[in-house]
Amino acid sequence: MVATAKAATRAPKASANRAADRSALFDERFLKTLEHLHMVARKVFAGNLRAERRTRKVGSGIEFADHRTYARGDDFRYIDWNLYGRLDKLLLRLFEEEEDLHIYILIDVSDSMAIGQPLPKLHYAMQVGAALTYVGLANLDRVAIIPFSDRLIGRMPPSRGKNRIFRVFDFLRNVELGGKTELAECMKQFVAQNKRRGLAVVISDFYDPEGFEQGINTLRYHKFEPFVLQVYDQREAAPKLAGDLALVDCETGDTREVTVSKSLLEAYEAEHEKYCKELEAYCTKYAMPFFRTHTSIPFDELVLKIFRSGGFLR
Amino acid sequence: MSFLGPLPLTLFAYIAAGAAVLAIGAYIIKMRRRRFEVPFSQLWKRVLEQKDANALWKQLRRLMSLLFILLILGLVMFAALDPTLGAVSRKARSVVILVDASASMKAMDGDKAGKQARLDVAKDRAKALVDSMGGGDLAMVMKVDGQATPMSRFSSDGPMLDKIVDNIVASDTPADLPRALGAAADALRDRPNPLIVLVSDGAFPEAQLGMVKWGAEKAGTGSGSGSKDLATIDLTGIDVRYLPVGMRSDNVGITAFNVRRYIANKASYEVFIEIQNFGTEPAHRTLTLSNGDTPISAGTKIDLAPGERIRKIYEKLPAGDGQLRAALRPVDGAGGSDPFALDDTAFALLPARKKQKVLMVTEDNLFLEGAVLVFDDVEQFKAKPAEYAAKPSLADGMDVVIFDDYTPDALPPAPANLLFFHPTGPHSPIAVHGETRDPHITEVDVGHPTMRWLTLSDIYMDKSGVFAPDAKLGESTIATSVTDPIIAAKRDGKRKILAVGFSLPSDGRDSATDLPLRVAFPMFIVNTLDWFAGDQADLLTTYATGKRERIPLDGVVGATEAEVKGPDGSITHTPVIDGLATFYGSRVGYYDVVAKGPDGHVMSQIQLAANLASATESDIAPSAVLSLGGKKLEKPEAFAITHSQKLWIYLVLLAGALILLEWITYHRRITV
Repeated sequence: MVATAKAATRAPKASANRAADRSALFDERFLKTLEHLHMVARKVFAGNLRAERRTRKVGSGIEFADHRTYARGDDFRYIDWNLYGRLDKLLLRLFEEEEDLHIYILIDVSDSMAIGQPLPKLHYAMQVGAALTYVGLANLDRVAIIPFSDRLIGRMPPSRGKNRIFRVFDFLRNVELGGKTELAECMKQFVAQNKRRGLAVVISDFYDPEGFEQGINTLRYHKFEPFVLQVYDQREAAPKLAGDLALVDCETGDTREVTVSKSLLEAYEAEHEKYCKELEAYCTKYAMPFFRTHTSIPFDELVLKIFRSGGFLR
Repeated sequence: MSFLGPLPLTLFAYIAAGAAVLAIGAYIIKMRRRRFEVPFSQLWKRVLEQKDANALWKQLRRLMSLLFILLILGLVMFAALDPTLGAVSRKARSVVILVDASASMKAMDGDKAGKQARLDVAKDRAKALVDSMGGGDLAMVMKVDGQATPMSRFSSDGPMLDKIVDNIVASDTPADLPRALGAAADALRDRPNPLIVLVSDGAFPEAQLGMVKWGAEKAGTGSGSGSKDLATIDLTGIDVRYLPVGMRSDNVGITAFNVRRYIANKASYEVFIEIQNFGTEPAHRTLTLSNGDTPISAGTKIDLAPGERIRKIYEKLPAGDGQLRAALRPVDGAGGSDPFALDDTAFALLPARKKQKVLMVTEDNLFLEGAVLVFDDVEQFKAKPAEYAAKPSLADGMDVVIFDDYTPDALPPAPANLLFFHPTGPHSPIAVHGETRDPHITEVDVGHPTMRWLTLSDIYMDKSGVFAPDAKLGESTIATSVTDPIIAAKRDGKRKILAVGFSLPSDGRDSATDLPLRVAFPMFIVNTLDWFAGDQADLLTTYATGKRERIPLDGVVGATEAEVKGPDGSITHTPVIDGLATFYGSRVGYYDVVAKGPDGHVMSQIQLAANLASATESDIAPSAVLSLGGKKLEKPEAFAITHSQKLWIYLVLLAGALILLEWITYHRRITV
């Protein structure tokens, strides 16, 4: 037990170093895993370019949407002659126009994300983010990646096409790390900078002392469709600690002296679970997709099974 | 309750207070905790806030941990005070148990069957005494034989004292009671209720028993005002008790056994033996006398009336190897045996005596040849120097080689002893560093065997070589002319060498001396051959056990220690001062004393014999009553039984249990 605690004491620094080393995050096998997936959007958003997404606009798509009364100047080709034969009215067939989707991948790169086994939560989040980005790019959606901690840290502008994926990798490899988690402030900045609505995938541990609600609400209020993915480490949920310790918050530096006993550990585990449940309940309440995963679940399994079974990918 | 701890209570209180302050200090000082980084301390905060509802209990638990430590500390300190339940009796005694381990305690009359020695009974009595001691009594065990040996310190540890008593072994020496009583009195000085218990057969000389003083003499009644008899043992204020052992008194023993060689006829010797019957009934024995394996007198029947002492002298016995043994054999019938076997055998030594083969390397020197012929035990051989130079093997098998005015290139091999007249050159056995003209012998080592009965002061000689004896090589000066050594001796292992610096008169020699014309010359030759043969008329080789003797070691120069090999094969070391070794025999039998030089070569070797030779010790009649200094000694009373109970072991056990409990509660996170 002592040895475990010692290893745990050394863990944060080692994790930070490991988190900083992102050279081997994305390899060929990683790409092949994702190729045949594409994302399913729950909502339909307006876009500028034709793509594979339905929009509320009626235009030159192939999916029938509605009829309306013919007006002068309308294209004769869209007059529904069958209805004219039955109703003796000129009605125009309306089609849903297919447009591209804006997907925003918001990745938490705060200090708390540097912790994790067998790989740091940050790496795990980046891999998931990159995977979702690839799927979006492959489906001709516009995907932007926005890292954040206590502010938005850089931004990869919306891109289209699979060939952009390497830029995504480079961006993720070089993004600046660290800082505190301030979800509300970051989401506020995000909605201010991105007027184009779309899917906002937030990948984070949601360890925000101010709470997660305000940040997510900001997205909701500005008509983004939030997709919440909580990443945690099992050792955070059930730490193996014992004895007299000084617990230091890796983001705020707050120190608490505790004597860790079995009952205290059990109380902590219950508290952690409660926190996660609160997040899940909140998302469910507002019909937001929510996934919770820990770093011990293999990446393949998360993407290929959990996302698909949850209806997020098909 | 009383405290028997080694420290004063005040000092102890200070130590306890200091330890308590340290414990409380350790409690107050915050322990440096291990740092552990967590991703979200908010969760811990929430948990701890809930836990803080139990803060009072938490404080109490930590306080409980402190109380545990203070309690453990208190118990340990209390145990160190050696608390004892029940009052320690003021009659608690300090006891010295003197266990007689002298030769008479070997008498096999501990039981009627004769299978148990007196010493065994004495040990049982001593152990019974130890076992009967009360809680406050302290005892020391002291062994009494020719010396007084404390076997333990004052202790109340019964099993340990019993074990010490069990390990006592009787020696072959008479008891030195005054020495033991003096040592016991010294050990008991300033101790409360001093008591000496003597467990013995009471076989002590009257002179020893009278050396005790029981109180301060009144002024003017002593031998002189202010004078004090240092030999007197002052037992004032000390209670001395006596526990007698032994049953039988019948014993016949050899009380004296000696041998000497006739001065006039060294080829024979005579033996003196004294035998006494110490019993109250007539006794019968057979006396056997042997020289090595050769019986001299086999089976002489001896009848002794009660208390009778007989002396026998065996005259004109032929020379032999030298180890003489006299033994009393039991005979069948009443008075035919006794329980004390130690004095039934006696040992003596006769220096080895045999016909010496003497080779004279000389050019027909009649003075020399005539002088050698005086010696009755010599077989003469003669060779001219040229013959010897051509064939040195002529010296093989010789006991003595005499070189007359000739120095060979190499010394004959040991063990041949060598006598040189006028050795010269680098091959001289003792370095020659010059020559002196018209020397006169001014100083002689009269203690040296070769110089016995000689007067050399008026000897004339033309010239003489001057030696440079080196003490480190075992060389010594025998005679000097002013400061020039002109006769020197050397011990070369067992071999002896004598070198005379001047030459004897002979045809063709330019030097002259009148020594051969003096009576001293044949005496000198005889003395020299005697010395070579190891036969010293005034050397005693038979000693009594239990007495310290000074033994002269011939030719020992520079050695400070000699090795003594006892009859049982044990090897001890004894100091050597001015050529005299201190000898103390604790066993009867033969001893080998060897003195070695700094480089390890044997400088001198001598064999000694030790016998009990004590009529007092052979008189094994036990004394049921013993009087010391005119005061009759009573048997020891029963010790005052104190029902005290030592508590320290229970306190230590309790402290151990608390440590275990604290350990468990700590690791179960109950007291943290």
